[in-house]
Amino acid sequence: MSANPGLLKPQKQIGWATWATFIIAVLFFWSLIAIEFSPGRMIQVPGQIARVLSFFYPADMAYGWSAVLPAIIESIQIAWIGTIIAALLSLPLALFGARTLFPRIARFVKLISATARAFPEILLAIYFVPIVGLGPFAGALAIGISSVGMLTKLGAEVVESIDFGPVEAVEASGGSRILALRYAVVPQVLPEIVAHWLFRFELNIRASAVLGVVGAGGVGGVLLNTLRYRHFEKAAAVLLLTIIVVLIIDMVSGEIRRKIIRG
Amino acid sequence: MNVAPPRPARNWPLLLGTLGFLVGMTWWSGHGIGFSLTELLCNLPGGQRLLQESWPPDFAFLPRLYAPFMETIYIAIIGTVVGGILAIPIAVLAARNLTLGPIVWFADRNFMNILRTLPDLFWAMMFATAVGFGPVAGALALSVFTIAVISKLWSESLEAIDMGMPEAVRAAGGTWLQMIQFGAIPQGLQHYVSYALYAFELNVRASMVLGLVGAGGIGMILETQRANFEYERVTMIILAVLVAVLVIEQISESIRKRLA
Amino acid sequence: MNKNQGSIRFTDASVVYPNGTVGMKDLNLEIRPGEFVVIVGSSGAGKSTLLRAINGLNRMTSGTVEVDGTKVPQKDGRELRVLRKRVGMIFQDFRLVKRLTVMSNVLIGRLAHVPGWRAMFNLWPAHDREVAMKALERVGITEKAWVKAAQLSGGQQQRVGIARALAQEPAIILADEPVASLDPVTTHQIMKDLVRINRELGITTLVNLHFLDLAKQYGQRIIGLRFGELVYDGSAANVTDEDFRDIYGRDFTEDDVLDEDAVGG
Ligand SMILES: Nc1ncnc2c1ncn2[C@@H]1O[C@H](COP(=O)(O)OP(=O)(O)OP(=O)(O)O)[C@@H](O)[C@H]1O
Ligand SMILES: [Mg+2]
Repeated sequence: MSANPGLLKPQKQIGWATWATFIIAVLFFWSLIAIEFSPGRMIQVPGQIARVLSFFYPADMAYGWSAVLPAIIESIQIAWIGTIIAALLSLPLALFGARTLFPRIARFVKLISATARAFPEILLAIYFVPIVGLGPFAGALAIGISSVGMLTKLGAEVVESIDFGPVEAVEASGGSRILALRYAVVPQVLPEIVAHWLFRFELNIRASAVLGVVGAGGVGGVLLNTLRYRHFEKAAAVLLLTIIVVLIIDMVSGEIRRKIIRG
Repeated sequence: MNVAPPRPARNWPLLLGTLGFLVGMTWWSGHGIGFSLTELLCNLPGGQRLLQESWPPDFAFLPRLYAPFMETIYIAIIGTVVGGILAIPIAVLAARNLTLGPIVWFADRNFMNILRTLPDLFWAMMFATAVGFGPVAGALALSVFTIAVISKLWSESLEAIDMGMPEAVRAAGGTWLQMIQFGAIPQGLQHYVSYALYAFELNVRASMVLGLVGAGGIGMILETQRANFEYERVTMIILAVLVAVLVIEQISESIRKRLA
Repeated sequence: MNKNQGSIRFTDASVVYPNGTVGMKDLNLEIRPGEFVVIVGSSGAGKSTLLRAINGLNRMTSGTVEVDGTKVPQKDGRELRVLRKRVGMIFQDFRLVKRLTVMSNVLIGRLAHVPGWRAMFNLWPAHDREVAMKALERVGITEKAWVKAAQLSGGQQQRVGIARALAQEPAIILADEPVASLDPVTTHQIMKDLVRINRELGITTLVNLHFLDLAKQYGQRIIGLRFGELVYDGSAANVTDEDFRDIYGRDFTEDDVLDEDAVGG
């Protein structure tokens, strides 16, 4: 048998890999020391976790139905409105953010989208809460704005990847640039873009679940309170219901996404 | 001569159903969360005031960010290393072509998906309750979060590897572990490093908010300043973190390029 | 309706691309209403450049092109759109929107004829739908009207391309190598369609062709280009192999004809 490149390659990289492992190990142990993670505590930690986990059983489902479910529904509503806001704002931005169609405007749009992406939704919520008050409305705005960044970026990439021929065909027949967008660009990109919206909705459900921590509505605040007052059985209900709802929504939305892409 | 067929009827039930669902869902959600354009517009002056209060950032506050910022980095490093190591067996067992059997595969895959379902802050809250407020809780939360990120991505790359080598190891009498170690992991190594770097970036971002629930790092100081309405300091913190995140992304991007 | 429309005049027209390539050099050419003109020349001779100058897809660096006595505007805008409305174009790669139905693709030819808001919201007047359907009738694929363009064969897609141009009710049709992506049988059918439409409707038609035998068989008038310059202009009936040799600057080979037996000595 001839020499297998797969066998030779790692040997050449050994010097490199050893160094990397060594450096990472040093950084790791240094970090452990820095946060005062003493071996003594390390031994206690699994026990502590196990002890707290044992309190989680049985989940207080009565509380789950009466208090958690409404909060989860609120999270879904926040995620939905946030996604709608983002979809409506990002569609035109994605079209104008395509380098191939609008070279000059695209730069500016890309800058806006990069800025919006830099902020986690929870930090945006910190700013929206004082403006529109504590509650889910602030959360939806935060989710919307922070999603615009990513949806614009992904959407612009879809637009940039299209077949440019039909655009020229529309313009050659006397149609304006705007009508070229309507007839030659949007039909080509819409399925992919809608799939991105749905995917973002799935992410936003998770994001909206944590916004309650800064008072922006949703199930996060409920979890924070149950844990703070050590109502572990109620916390268990929060976790259980959140997992179930998120899994269901992921499944349904994933299925729709696949259908849309297939056409 | 061919005749034009009649225009096919639209699928009205589907069309109206979809439209009805979209509009209904939006109305119901908007109502539920108290969405109101007038409120937004009326409060814009308040927003303007907030912006004025948030600007300029309080640069004098910067030196006091050093210690919590370093803590954030430590947490991210520990979380990435621990999570990165634990993700290896989980990813291998979740890869259809490498796993030990359908039951193991099924169990592992669902475990992985459930880990992924819960957002990072939930883990932080739980660990803060279990082991007390502070960086240890943050590091544990990020470990779990890292497992979720890396195992999902890496198991997919592992499913795409060339099975020639692993089968050769097996044919030469190697054990399952040897097959993974010598046949599979070398092929997936580059992806693994790339995903680990990606997880580290996410962890640095995440660790700035972990502190909001008492899990250490710069988020804790952010929470204090926010509670005291010190918005010039809040802006300072956020700016500092954004700069740090961008720098880290650049570094990891250049490492990734060198690897490719 | 097009009896006296569809004349084209190039006057000292030149195109130099930004990278310095000369696409057209001091072209003087007049095309009369209703003519069927085939443009030949080797690859890079400037055939596309010539066609695309007529509807302003390419800009001139000097000289002018006129359509029915009106100069082709050299900047984007309303005036250029008004001109393009009267000039249909057919492309080698069809340029259909694959995810739209055939009907919607043909209606694209009507975009310049209806108010913008109607087009925007897909509210086409009955008259425009009728024109589109008539255009499909002319190329014989009305039965595909409600099918997605992606599901058609190459020849059918090119027919939709032609119908889209016809839907403009144009005075001129520009066809840039309309048969280059088609098999020989379909090629002849499409060429016959183009000739028939030219005869029936009197639309001035300019076709870029790669194949010499096709040019000779279907052309009325043949224009030869070489390095952006006009090197031949005459009736298809009189064109000789000698002329083709001049146009191509070399002996031509099997690659230059569709039917191999057509290679003459
Ligand atoms: N956008 C452009 N930028 C630079 N040079 C160009 C451009 N378009 C065409 N050219 C050049 O101008 C010359 C004429 O091109 P044109 O496309 O008109 O040739 P053609 O006769 O249509 O060729 P083909 O048969 O290959 O389509 C060629 O040398 C070509 O490389
Ligand atoms: Mg050409």
